[in-house]
Parts: sequence; C-alpha cells; structure tokens
Amino acid sequence: MVYRWVDHTAELELQLEAPTEEAVFREALAALGGLLGERTDADARDPVRHEVHASAPDLATLLAEWLSELAYLAETQGFVPERVDSLSIDSSLDLEASVSGRRADPPHLIKAVTYHRLEMREGGEGWRARVVLDV
Amino acid sequence: MTKLRKLDETLWEIPASERADMRVPARLFANPEIIDAIREDRSLDQLENVATLPGIVGAALAMPDIHQGYGFPVGGLAATDPSDGVVSPGGVGYDINCGVRLLVMPLSADELNGRKEQFVHELSRRTPAGTGREGGLELNGAQLERVLRDGPRALLDRGIGTERDIERTESGGRLEAADPDALSPRARERGASQLGTLGSGNHFIEVQRVERIFDEGAAQAYGLRTGLVTVLIHSGSRGLGHQVCTDFVKRMDEALPRHGIELADRQLACAPIDSGDGRAYLAAMAAAANFAWSNRHTLAHSVREAARQVLGAAVADGTRLVYDVAHNVAKLEPYDGRELCVHRKGATRAFPPGHPEIPAEYGSAGQPVFIPGSMGTSSFVLAGRPASMERSFGTTCHGAGRLMSRTRARKEIGGKQLRRQLEEKGITVRCGSNRGLSEEAPFAYKDVEVVVDVVERAGLAARVAQLRPIGVVKG
Repeated sequence: MVYRWVDHTAELELQLEAPTEEAVFREALAALGGLLGERTDADARDPVRHEVHASAPDLATLLAEWLSELAYLAETQGFVPERVDSLSIDSSLDLEASVSGRRADPPHLIKAVTYHRLEMREGGEGWRARVVLDV
Repeated sequence: MTKLRKLDETLWEIPASERADMRVPARLFANPEIIDAIREDRSLDQLENVATLPGIVGAALAMPDIHQGYGFPVGGLAATDPSDGVVSPGGVGYDINCGVRLLVMPLSADELNGRKEQFVHELSRRTPAGTGREGGLELNGAQLERVLRDGPRALLDRGIGTERDIERTESGGRLEAADPDALSPRARERGASQLGTLGSGNHFIEVQRVERIFDEGAAQAYGLRTGLVTVLIHSGSRGLGHQVCTDFVKRMDEALPRHGIELADRQLACAPIDSGDGRAYLAAMAAAANFAWSNRHTLAHSVREAARQVLGAAVADGTRLVYDVAHNVAKLEPYDGRELCVHRKGATRAFPPGHPEIPAEYGSAGQPVFIPGSMGTSSFVLAGRPASMERSFGTTCHGAGRLMSRTRARKEIGGKQLRRQLEEKGITVRCGSNRGLSEEAPFAYKDVEVVVDVVERAGLAARVAQLRPIGVVKG
C-alpha cells in the first residue's frame, strides 16, 4: 500500500494505491493521520475512538465522503486518526467503520474534500485513487 | 497557449469556438508576465470549463491574480441569467465570503512605535487563530440564528461594533436571501464556536503604515493620510462556510441528471437558480456570507479592544472602519437593466463613483477595494472605476495570487529564518506555527504591484494608497 501527497499551487492532492477497495480507504486514513499528526503537538495523547458512517452513489465519491467525515472529526473533535479498527463497505455502498486515534489539537488545515479530478478505479495490480483537498 | 489571443493591452481571449461545449468566450485581464506564469497550470482550462455553464452571460472572466483552483480558477468570475442560468457553489468556493476589512487608527506609526510589539502581541492574544475549537464568541442556537439572518447587526446589542461599521460593510453585512434553515446541523455546529476566530492558511491580521497616497481626494474620503496606522483583517466564514459548500456540491452533484446538466468538472456542480436546489444554496450561502461579515466585525472589535488595552480608550474609540469587501460570493446585481447572478471566486466587487450600492460618503470616490500583498510586502487600497461596470460585472482582482505550492515554499525557507527576515524589515510577527509561516512566504505569491497595475490600466479600479506592513498576526 502506498500513499503520496502532491502539493499544487493551492491544493493538496492525495494519490493512493492499494490491493483492495477497503485497503484504499484504510490507506486514506493513514495519509490523513500523517498529515494532521505531523502538525500536531506530539505530547497530546488522549486515545479516542469514533464510529464513522458514509454513503455515496459510487466508490470514488464514497472515498471523498470518508475523508470528509474524518476531516470533520478533526475539526470538531480534535481527532487525529491513527488506525482503522474495522471497516466494511456493503453492496449498496454504505460504509461502516470504527477508527482509533488521539484527541489533540490539530490545525484547521483541511477546508474541504473536493470532487475535482476525483477518481478511484481498479487496474493492473490493484486499486488506484486520487482525491484533491482544499487547504 | 496559442489559442489565447490578445484583444487589447490588458485583455486576452479564448474564443468560444475553441471547444464545442463553450457557450461564451473565456477572457483574462493580464500582461505577458502573468500569461507566462500560468502557462504550466490548469487555470485557463478551468476558465474554459466555466464558459460552459448554462446561462452564462458575456464571458467567463478572470482577473490578473488568476491561479489554479478546483471548478473555477481562483480570480474567476461568471455572471449567469436567473431565468435560464445556474448557480454553482464551486463558483463561490469553500470559504464563502472570505474577504477583507480595513480599519484606520487615529495615530501615526511613529506614535505607535514604542508600543507596537505590545499591541501586536495583544492582537494575537485576542484573536484565536488556526487551532483549537474554543476561543470564539460562544453563541447559543438563537444567537447563531440571528447572526445568520441579520449579519453583524445582530451583534450590536452585545456591544460589538457600531452602526457606522455596518454602513461601511459591503451590502450592509447582510444578504437578504439568508435562511438559517437552509443550513445543515453540521454547518451550524461548525459555526457555533468559531465567530471571531481568524482561521489558518492565508488568513491574517496585519498592522500597517500608510506609505503613499496616489489619489488625495479618495484617500481623504476614506480617512487615510500618510503615516497613519491601518489594520487589515483577512478571514471568512470558517468551518460553517466550508460545510455549506461541501453540503451543496454533494447535493447538486447528485441532482445534475435531474436538471439535465453535464459538466466538464464535477466540482462545477450547479443547479438552475430557479429551482429548489438553486434557491436553497443561495439561502444557505447568504447565511454563511452574513456569518463571515459577523466574523470580521467581531475580529475588528477584538482589534479595538486590543487598542483599548495597549493604546487607550481614545485610540480604540477613534479606530474607524474604512470598508469591508467580500472575495468569494454570488450575488444578484443589476447590469444593463437586468438582474444577473454574479459569482466571484477570489475577486472583489469594485463599484464606481455614484453607484447606489456604496456609502454616500464614498459616492464621489468610488467603492474602496483592498488588495493584500503577500506577507511582508505592501498592500493597496483601490477605488472602483466606471470600466468595471462595462468590462467585468463591477469586479476587480482580490490579491497577489499564489505562485508556488506550500511544500515548495517550505523547502525554500524555514519559518525561523523567515521570521528573522521579517523582523529585520521592521515587521513584528506573531504566528503559532513556523511551518505555517514559511508556507506563506512572500515569494510564494505573485507581485501584487503587477496585478494592481493591470487592473488599473484596464480601468477596473485605481490606486488610492499603499500600505506597508509593520506587524502581522497569522492564523
């Protein structure tokens, strides 16, 4: 699994590669956790757990919704995500997940998760996805 | 880039014939240097995409501070016809009514000098910035409702700001279409504790000295004199506005098939103005815009309170609002006898002298426009000019425009080093994060003077004053 942040003039693009659909979602959480974590006071370590629900008409949109939910928890609950404890996506594209991390004071870095150049598709060795964040 | 053709000294065009789906031409106010700077990015493709929107009138326009965004380019502008046109949340952006407000203080930079550090420190203490969910003005449900409906007027009875402040705010700080019920519970939740907070990224409060006057008459009307201290506040609707945009991009994206709209970019998600989705967005956007004006109104109150503590009551009470303008908003405005929905995304309204929408005291000067430079460089006060009505739906540029990514800026200079450089230039800096500071390094932005020169030569707005920074509080 690989994630990569590409920084454009006024936006932050997340590129993901993973063997399965679910792994793409797990990787997206790791990427967001890394982004927020490296800008957050390392001493703040209140462990915390959240349940996340999201749904969308297609997988790419569901990925944007997932990140959007996590960014919302970061802003309103001070949540810095660290790992996915459980995650399932059913056939009607309803996502249920339980996520762990710490309650800290991450910066209000992410204004929103956009649909600009949003993509998630299967090809060759697994899944690839791209999400652009407004920062 | 060959498809760009020069129409006159400051205006370039991509004809509508360039793409089958373009309904109108795409036009850019620029100079050759600016054209070169955007050659590598997608801002012109994005401007072409804007030209495909249903009901767009005249042309998709961009200001010389254009840079790549999502959906619309930043610095972009589109007017649509309410009878058959669309409204696009992506044409306003996530930070609804991000904007600037300029205050002028009744003392000179020389008089401030010995107390400047203390004043900037006090400002930073009183304006919660990028992190933390607390620190804003706590609002209960009913109070938030009033702010969303009425804008800064709802705060007067709490002793925040004055009636004169409201007169000197674009649209009196209140868009009538606002309906708090159009907001999701999540948008309200994100707004409830963020009023009076600055936000992170490029948001700031800057203390400045009036360095130079270009137009004595207009400067006098605006209360500006060489040597006086000004304070420029740049902030927006915070998480509340971000959530409104997020909610409506999703809603309109899902409704596109129902409205029979096909788009070149999903982020342009839109709906007919004359539809339930369109009206609901305009009502929610107006409420978020009112929230943003209330936010800058509250931040201005914090500036006065910091002045009261450090500089005394006379200075605090004599601190006058020059004006407050929105950078990201969609508004219904009359042009040539018909009402149009003007989307401004990183662009400023710039009404000329005599326009009925500007305060009477500025009637002969024109509407004030503030163009912040990058951190550490000069900002400009402009006045709207008649050609803005003929050429750009009453609009001019909004800032310097980003040139370099945040990562690259950070690689070029460390926060500590930048802080030292700014202090050496006589600028007191208060910023919680060295990293955030370096991301906003001056060289990461276009030269604001080049941008201002283009809009002045295009006749959209004219220079009134130049403001040099002497202190900055960053989110």
